[in-house]
Amino acid sequence: MKDKMPVLTRRDFLRGTIGVTLGTSVFGIQWPKGEARAAGSSLVTVVRDKNAMDSAKNIDITVLEKMLTETLTRVTGQENTKDAWLSLVKPNDVIGLVPTDHLNPTHDEVVHVVKNSLMDAGIPEERIRDAQGPRNAKKCDALIAIPGLKAHWLTGIGTVLKNYIMYSGSPSSYHKSNSSKLGEIWNLPFVKGKTKLVLVDSLYPLCDKGPQPDPRYQWNYNGLIAGTDPVAVETVCLKIITEKRKAIRGEPWPLSPPPICIEAADRVYGLGTSRMEQIQIQHYGWEDKLLL
Amino acid sequence: MNADKLDLPKTVGVWNRPDSPRLINAKNIFKYMNGAGELYLGYRFHHLEVFDYTSPDQGNILVELYFMENSDDAFGLLSLDWGGEPVSFDGAPAATSKKSFTSPTRALYGGGLLRMWSDDMYARVMAERETPASKEAVITIGKAIAANTQHSPEPVLVKKLPLEIGTVWNLRMDRLSFFRSHLVLNSIYYLSHENILGIDLSAEAVIAPYEYIPGSGNPKRSQFLLVKYENPERARQALNRFHDAYLPDHKKEISADTDADSPSPFRLEDGWLAYKLLGKYIAIVFECPDPESARTILQNNESNLLKKGGGS
Repeated sequence: MKDKMPVLTRRDFLRGTIGVTLGTSVFGIQWPKGEARAAGSSLVTVVRDKNAMDSAKNIDITVLEKMLTETLTRVTGQENTKDAWLSLVKPNDVIGLVPTDHLNPTHDEVVHVVKNSLMDAGIPEERIRDAQGPRNAKKCDALIAIPGLKAHWLTGIGTVLKNYIMYSGSPSSYHKSNSSKLGEIWNLPFVKGKTKLVLVDSLYPLCDKGPQPDPRYQWNYNGLIAGTDPVAVETVCLKIITEKRKAIRGEPWPLSPPPICIEAADRVYGLGTSRMEQIQIQHYGWEDKLLL
Repeated sequence: MNADKLDLPKTVGVWNRPDSPRLINAKNIFKYMNGAGELYLGYRFHHLEVFDYTSPDQGNILVELYFMENSDDAFGLLSLDWGGEPVSFDGAPAATSKKSFTSPTRALYGGGLLRMWSDDMYARVMAERETPASKEAVITIGKAIAANTQHSPEPVLVKKLPLEIGTVWNLRMDRLSFFRSHLVLNSIYYLSHENILGIDLSAEAVIAPYEYIPGSGNPKRSQFLLVKYENPERARQALNRFHDAYLPDHKKEISADTDADSPSPFRLEDGWLAYKLLGKYIAIVFECPDPESARTILQNNESNLLKKGGGS
């Protein structure tokens, strides 16, 4: 076996050698050991309101609008929504909204609130489009990723990084060991650098793997999670899902398979940080069962 | 079998279904459910029939009928999650027995979703909004699905696992899963993104934890995996591949002789692992607290397998 490629196994996760094994087997390169984003930290906001969605899953649009305003001003440090948006996008940008359309789809209300907020900031409606789908990012200058918070049975977590899987043109090829490569999609020429905000619809997350939604594993979290660093946002999402699973079973219940795409997005693709110590989490509003 | 042979009610409460289902096969299942299609193709999937029961103002009820090659595959899909409230449609005991599989759970309900195994069919009936009325409708539809179908036995492989080992190790039947795909295995107990055990549709496998609750109350749990291959040669090749991938730092000890001495457990990062080739079966135990536990769990399973006619 000495000449054979090492295979990534459970033991690599136990030993902390996933980087070495993935580096030589999947990526064909040595996994960088350096601190990719040693300087500074990534801000992730978690804004919650217990009235955002009721037990019958009805969404209060007014509450949701307030949550978005809180999110935008906190993420950007701007005084108001208009300034916040204009610090992220240019008025003449073609802006693509990228919701998730399956498993635990992004609520239409969240997409509508984002679109209306952009229009209120002076972005013409014709410059705002749905950019989910194989080639839709090509026509956009800026992207707003709006995935639904969820686990995934083939990739562990299926929220932020996986939200662009259709841009690859071959989504099923990222469902096995290559799920570690989901980050490379964010570096495709027609995608790279376009994502101005990641806004996770965490009103009603799904904490189990699926592959189809099971309401026993969904709950009213009533939140919006946001940031400009997709890996940091995904890392916070993973923490919430992990904590919820532990609360359900009363013992650790790790995601299986493990979501290797997150660490790879940090260390191989340089998309952001997956290290909690480099993430500044700011939460506002409803504190109950924050799971952070 | 298909839905024509079922007598699904046209109307349940305020919900109405169309005359015909949407038909999904192996070619278009990915279009219907994206990556989730791989779960069903990981079993021996035949086709899927989908009915949408609609209501004016109480949400819809989605009925998915997965027709599989045989009842083992349908059982396997239900076995991926034994959580929920057991439901009986015929007055038989609904709860999973702690001691045997003689009265297995065939339907589980929770949060508006009914999952059930009925002969060679696995069904999901899900209310968009859970209310007392929608729950009643979901159960009524489930009863119609189960009506006039055989109560097939659970897979033979499942019954080969001893429920108790000595006085200390108990099989966690509520965590027992039957499968034929390494993707499914990884969703239960991650081993490797690669198919290092060579599990495919020609194989069948069962995994379940054995749990030991000592006096201190801190349970110890070991995972037991049993895979049955088409023939002994496939099993031998698979175990070789597993050892090379999972235990490259340990000396290989694979013998085709089922009467060979007890296996030598390997000390790994999460406990002790032992395996044994038993004819066309491979038995592996993971995460044992000590080598003796690993040997005991493996040997008891081997004895049970031979007693029940396996191993050849």
